[in-house]
Amino acid sequence: MSTMRANQLKTGVFVLYKGQPCAVVKCEFYFPGKGSAFARTRMKNVKTGNVYEYTFKSAEMVETVDVDTVELQYLYSDGDIYYFMNPQTYDQFEVDKPLFEGKEKYLLAEMKMFVSFYEGKPIGVRFPLKVTVKVTEASDAVAGNTVNAPKKTVTIETGVEVMVPLFIKQGETIIIDTATDEYVSRA
Amino acid sequence: MKTFQKLKEKPELWKQYFVREKVIDAIRAYFKGEGFHEAEVPLLLPTPSTEPFLEVFKTKLVDDQGHKWDGFLPSSPEFAMKKLLSAGSGSIFTITKSFRNGEGRSSRHNPEFSILEWYRTPGDYMDVAHDFEGLMIKINQTIGKLRKPENQQIRASEILMYQGKEYSLKAPWERISVAEAFEKYAGIDTETMLDGKRLTACGKQRGYQVDEKTTWEEIWNQIIANEIEPKLGQKGPTILYDYPVSQAALSKKKVSDPRFAERFEVFMAGMELGNCFSELTDWREQEARCLADLALRQAQGKLAYPMDTDFIEALKMGMPETGGIAVGVDRLVALFADAPDIADTLFFPVGELFNISII
Repeated sequence: MSTMRANQLKTGVFVLYKGQPCAVVKCEFYFPGKGSAFARTRMKNVKTGNVYEYTFKSAEMVETVDVDTVELQYLYSDGDIYYFMNPQTYDQFEVDKPLFEGKEKYLLAEMKMFVSFYEGKPIGVRFPLKVTVKVTEASDAVAGNTVNAPKKTVTIETGVEVMVPLFIKQGETIIIDTATDEYVSRA
Repeated sequence: MKTFQKLKEKPELWKQYFVREKVIDAIRAYFKGEGFHEAEVPLLLPTPSTEPFLEVFKTKLVDDQGHKWDGFLPSSPEFAMKKLLSAGSGSIFTITKSFRNGEGRSSRHNPEFSILEWYRTPGDYMDVAHDFEGLMIKINQTIGKLRKPENQQIRASEILMYQGKEYSLKAPWERISVAEAFEKYAGIDTETMLDGKRLTACGKQRGYQVDEKTTWEEIWNQIIANEIEPKLGQKGPTILYDYPVSQAALSKKKVSDPRFAERFEVFMAGMELGNCFSELTDWREQEARCLADLALRQAQGKLAYPMDTDFIEALKMGMPETGGIAVGVDRLVALFADAPDIADTLFFPVGELFNISII
C-alpha cells in the first residue's frame, strides 16, 4: 500500500478513504489563518458513486489506491457503453459514460487515452486535453458583427456544434480544447 | 483564454467584474456614514506583522548610494492601523492590498488580495458584529440585485442569492460560541475541547489521523473544518465567537472566562468572511505574544524578520478600547457577483498572470 502527503493531493488522484476507493474530484488548500494548513477535498467512491467531503491536515499521510493505468483505443459506442481496446493485447473493455464527464462528444474512432482500472474495472479516464477534428458543416461568414472577435457555429465530425472564428471553412481541420469547449487553432 | 480576451469577446461579462467597484463604493459609503476616517497604509515595510504561520514576500529597498534594507510586503494592514489608533485617529477603516506567499491553489485565495479592515473605537468585538450586519445590507442595496422574498418577514434588501441558494442577511445574525458549537455539533464538552491530550485522544477515536507530532491546534481545527463549519452559515451569516486564548494572538481575554478570548469569525455559504477581535491594548502582553510568534516562525523555518518595535512603542502611548476586523474583499465580491471562485471576479488572477495552469 502506498501513501502520499495530503498537501500533494489533487484532482484525479485515487485514495482509500474509510476503506473505500475514492477519486479526488476537488481539492483545495485551506488555511485557517491563525493555524496550520489543511487540504479540503471532495471524493467520489468509485464503486458506489457516493460523494464525501473531508478536510485532511496537510501533513498527514493518505493511503492511495493502486490503480493500473493503460493506454486504450476507442472502438465504438452502444448506448451509454463505450468500447475500448488495448492495442497491445487486443483485449476489449467497456467504459461507462459518466467517466467521460461530458467529453464523450469528442470521441472519434481510434482515439487513444489512458484509462485507470481498479480490481479490473475502469474507474477513470484521462481524456486528451485537445482534439483535432474536421469541420463537416459550416456556413459562410455573415457580414455584420465584426467588432467583438466575431464567431460562428460549425458542426464537427463527431456531430456536435462548436464556436469558431468566421474564417473557418467546411472541410478544414481544427483543434478544440476539451476542457473549455473552445476553438484553439487550425490544425 | 485570459480574462481581458474573454471580456473583449463577451462584453456582457463586464457587469460581473464591475460588481467589485460597487462593493467598494458601498463599503466607503457605509463607513463614512458611520463617521469613520479612511486611512491609507504602506505596502512596503521594513518588517511585517508577526504571523506565525503565514509566509511573506521579501524584497530589498536600495538607495542611490547602494545602501540596502530588507523590505517586505504586508500580510495585513493591522499593525499600521493600530499605530494610528494609538495616536488618536478615532474609528478608521482601510481598503488595501495584502500578500501571502507559499499558499496552495484554492477558489478562495489569491497571493495578492484585497482586504478591508475597520476599527471601531471606543468599541469591542460585538460592536463590530453590528457594523458587519449593517455593512452587508448596505452592499446588498447598492448592488441592487434585489428580489421579492417569499417570506414577508424579510425585506428584499436582506435577501442574497448565491449559487442558487437564498440567504438572509437580516440582523441579528446567528451567534454561537466555539464552546457551544463543539458541544452542539461535535458532542465535545469544553474541558475536553481545551485539553491537548484529551482532544487528540478524542480525535483519534473519531478516525482522525493522530501521531506523536499531531498538535492540539491541528485536531481542533480539523474538527471545526469537518464537523462544525459545514453546519455554519447555511441560511445566513453565522458569527462563531469566543475562541480559545491560544487561537487569538491579538485579542483581549474574556473577563468572565480567561480561557477564552474575544474573537469571532463570520461564516456564510462555505466561506470564512471575516476575523474580528476586541483588540489587545496591553503593550507588555502584546510584546510577549509577538516574540512568541517570531520564535514559532523560526521553529518552522519561515522567513525571519525583526519585531516591529514601533508597534510596541505606539501601544505604550495608550491604545484605546477598540473592536477591529479583517474582511476578505475578494470573497465579498464573489458573494455579491454570485461567482463560485474569486478568480472569476479578478481582472488579473495570479494563475493567468503567471501562466500557472489551474487544476
